Amino acid sequence: MSGFKRDHKEEEDGGGNPFQNIEKTTVLQEARIFNETSVNPRKCTPILTKLLYMLNQGEQLSAKEATDVFFAMTKLFQSKDVILRRLVYLGIKELSSIADDVIIVTSSLTKDMTGKEDLYRAAAIRALCSITDATMLQAIERYMKQAIVDRNPAVSSAALVSSLHMAKLAPEVVKRWVNEAQEAVNSENIMVQYHALGLLYHIRKSDRLAVSKLVTRSIQTLMYTNVSLQKSSYAVCMLIRIAAKLIEEEGADRKSSKSQSPYFQYIESCFRHKSEMVVYEAAYAVVNLNNSTSQEVAQAISVLQLLSASPKPALRFAAVRTLNQVAISHPAAVTACNLDLENLITDSNRSIATLAITTLLKTGAESSVDRLMKQIATFVSEISDEFKVVVVQAIRALALKFPRKHTVLMNFLSAMLRDDGGLEYKASIADTIITIIEDNPEAKETGLAHLCEFIEDCEHVSLAVRILHLLGKEGPKTKQPSRYIRFIYNRVILECPSIRAAAVSAMAQFGASCPDLLENIQVLLARCQMDSDDEVRDRATYYSSILNRQDKALYNNYVLNTLQVSMPALEKSLSEYINLNTAQPFDIKSVPVVAVSKSENDVKQKPEGMLISSGPTKISPSRDENFADKLNSLPDAQSLGPHFKSSEIVELTESETEYVVKCIKHCYAQHLVLQFDCLNTLNDQLLENVRVQLDVSEGFEIINEIPCPKLPYNETGTTYVIVKFPDGDILNSVGTFGAVLKFIVKDCDPATGLPDIDEGYDDEYMLEELEITLADQIQKVNKANWGAAWEEAESTFHEIEDTYSLSSMNTLEEAVVNIIKYLGLQPAERSDKVPKGKSTHTLLLAGIFRGGVDILVRAKLALADGVTMQLTVRSTDQSIAELITSAIG
Amino acid sequence: MGLFQKLVSFLGVGKKDVNVLVVGLNNSGKSTVVNNFKADDDKVTDIVPTVGFSVERFQKQNLGFTAFDMSGHGRYRDLWEYYYKDCQGIIFVIDSSDRLRLVVVKEELDLLLQHPDICQKKIPILFFANKMDCREALSSVKIAAALGLDKIMDKPWHISASNALTGEGLQEGVEWLTQQIRELLSVKV
Repeated sequence: MSGFKRDHKEEEDGGGNPFQNIEKTTVLQEARIFNETSVNPRKCTPILTKLLYMLNQGEQLSAKEATDVFFAMTKLFQSKDVILRRLVYLGIKELSSIADDVIIVTSSLTKDMTGKEDLYRAAAIRALCSITDATMLQAIERYMKQAIVDRNPAVSSAALVSSLHMAKLAPEVVKRWVNEAQEAVNSENIMVQYHALGLLYHIRKSDRLAVSKLVTRSIQTLMYTNVSLQKSSYAVCMLIRIAAKLIEEEGADRKSSKSQSPYFQYIESCFRHKSEMVVYEAAYAVVNLNNSTSQEVAQAISVLQLLSASPKPALRFAAVRTLNQVAISHPAAVTACNLDLENLITDSNRSIATLAITTLLKTGAESSVDRLMKQIATFVSEISDEFKVVVVQAIRALALKFPRKHTVLMNFLSAMLRDDGGLEYKASIADTIITIIEDNPEAKETGLAHLCEFIEDCEHVSLAVRILHLLGKEGPKTKQPSRYIRFIYNRVILECPSIRAAAVSAMAQFGASCPDLLENIQVLLARCQMDSDDEVRDRATYYSSILNRQDKALYNNYVLNTLQVSMPALEKSLSEYINLNTAQPFDIKSVPVVAVSKSENDVKQKPEGMLISSGPTKISPSRDENFADKLNSLPDAQSLGPHFKSSEIVELTESETEYVVKCIKHCYAQHLVLQFDCLNTLNDQLLENVRVQLDVSEGFEIINEIPCPKLPYNETGTTYVIVKFPDGDILNSVGTFGAVLKFIVKDCDPATGLPDIDEGYDDEYMLEELEITLADQIQKVNKANWGAAWEEAESTFHEIEDTYSLSSMNTLEEAVVNIIKYLGLQPAERSDKVPKGKSTHTLLLAGIFRGGVDILVRAKLALADGVTMQLTVRSTDQSIAELITSAIG
Repeated sequence: MGLFQKLVSFLGVGKKDVNVLVVGLNNSGKSTVVNNFKADDDKVTDIVPTVGFSVERFQKQNLGFTAFDMSGHGRYRDLWEYYYKDCQGIIFVIDSSDRLRLVVVKEELDLLLQHPDICQKKIPILFFANKMDCREALSSVKIAAALGLDKIMDKPWHISASNALTGEGLQEGVEWLTQQIRELLSVKV
């Protein structure tokens, strides 16, 4: 940092960066000097440096330019100059991904890496690894193996790390180097040991037994001789991470206590390691284990407590940050550290202070909230955005814990909203306010008011759009909806097109929900129709014409409840429709309805112990769309119409039997496609013509069976059965099918997997019965305004009402969860959350039956000796309503 | 250039650096030939197929040679041309026992001679009919005829039968090449 500052000063003095004004074309021109017969290192070195500088500044070379300069550079291999040669290695690494035929330097590099000059060797290995592809790896395998066990630690480390990189290209080849890596683990050098362990783990990562052996070996030497096999603290940290991962995997399998596990004991023994890094890593690993008991965590927390009093700021920071993370899961254990944390509030390092105070907020009692909030306020302006987000998250947790404190917290949040800050920070504040509003009806009005104030002066478009959407949804339900319209219309006057468009939609919501405001809204919308932006005008015209009709049903379908189809599927259908070029209008019903995603964000993604860095995760199309693609490849699937829904995976066997069969039920308008994924776990059998014979219930009709031609050992094959639902008899569309797996067995040699004889024999295997439930045929639909839809349905839909007594349920929550699961409908208006201490509850559900029939269900629950339920079903189809009422009971 | 240096170069005692390109099909013995030219300390005992190219240096009669020993594998042959531009001599190694691929050799040679960087210049080309010790080896005369070397009018060329393992024939060839390059250099001066 100081060096950087000095550089900066020199620049101002006028000395300047010698590479400041270089141009790509000039450098490439100058690089031609490399081609001269006798190389002049004094001239070439600065030019190569310029080239490297340029590449690192992000200058892009075309493949042609890169190849030319690369080949010019290869001629520098004739020079014996050490500096020049090492620059050449760097150049090769930089250009290896852009230039063609980089493979040309392979021999030159292998010569350097096996040569006498130690200065060349490590760098040559790294350069070699960057130019080698999977096919060439064989050629250099011998050299790599030698280099891994080289006496020189730099060479050995370089080879190990390069192997790790190459394992991505050709895992099979790198796997063969396991013996060399094993030898390197025992090296004296701490870095070599660490890198070797890393490679070894990477090679064996998929083989759990081998990994556990790897860890056990070092654990045992530690236990018996009390001397750690690993001298390197880095390697020990790595081992701790591996051990923690093993414990997780073990824990998933059987429910034994963690403290019995040798790995856990190993991690605990690391608390006494002399390196602070290892001690921290061990404590971090323990507190991050899934569902560990407070007893297991206690020791780790006391270690963290010690570290938090360390004179080194980095350690204090790490310890407090970890305590902060655990504070949610184990508040009681962290409370013990409160005294130490109080001391850290005054720490000169603001980051540590922030973490300490937010930890206290998470663990503290209601009485201390006011005091702590005041303390935060004193330094909140001094900390960076990232830590402000931490503070905001702590406040959110606090608000959920102590709803009564919402006024203090809300005021604090609104003050923070007014401060400067980045998008992420502002978004997290807005999120917190939204959470508080949703959770605490008392805070709603004030929260909305704060948000209104915020969008008056909000520089982040995405945030403003979100808040406008929220205002449109929540505003009409408040006591005085007209208050919000002024705020929203101000946006139309002042902001950019996307915010204006959002504001128009929000106003339309008010118009649809509050009849007394309709006239005013129409005036405002009429003004918006003069807007300069197309989208804004379109929306205004659209909404104003709908609102003109004064038709409740139209309001519900086109203003209050938004489109329910899955966007990627809609895009696909539309592009297909355009290509078809038919005169028929586009049928939106043919687009699959999107399943309501189960708030995926809630699933906390735990990083894989930082063992292997994963690249950025790709956004994959939803599960259903994956299936849709796969199913469309089936010969008959095209004729079945659009795909409606896929069920969860149902296991038809125990997980550890000879054959493992899992079923996924794909529902179509009139058909059901049953996908059976079969796994053969017998290594001496080859199965052929695998199919599932179904014993269908009355009314169902088997249309087609698609067997799986071959199922070798340890592979998953798929067979399909297409079943037609009973014609016009919806009441019988639930049922139970008997299932038998049928196949031809050929005995085979376990080693080769080839059958011994050509003739096989028929065999069968009983599977568990397959249930076709109501939930399989219903897609969840999120109705934003359930009440409006319900009222509208009163006149047009068929209604059936019935009363049940659910004697097996003991609480309302249990009943709600079971009803939702059984019917497969989406709860609306947050009615799935039962307020505490109530003895009655109304559950509101919505969904679509296959074939596109709307269903609305209201279940009034009362608690008294079990749960009594009054179920009202409204549906456009009488028989579907009957089916639902008859299904329960 | 000073008078003294002119005198030195005229007399042929001054030290010069030249680049030569060693090409030929794979397994014809290029690396072995180059290895044989090197000083005894630098020699390597086992020779593996070259991937890409490797740079070797050796001295012959006061001339410092930098040899670009190119890989002969099919997939790298089109990379030779990157090094045509600044070479003062070409050593073309032929496996004289490999009758089958003699047509491939001819094709590659023609490509080389037609390349714009080569056909303009009067570069000496030295052919080694290598592996002369093999029983089925063709004589250098037959190879010269098969390759149509007599049609090369604009460049000095020379063919000599050789055995790169023992070094037989190499000396004679490289002496010719040295002589040619020296003449070429003195003309330029």
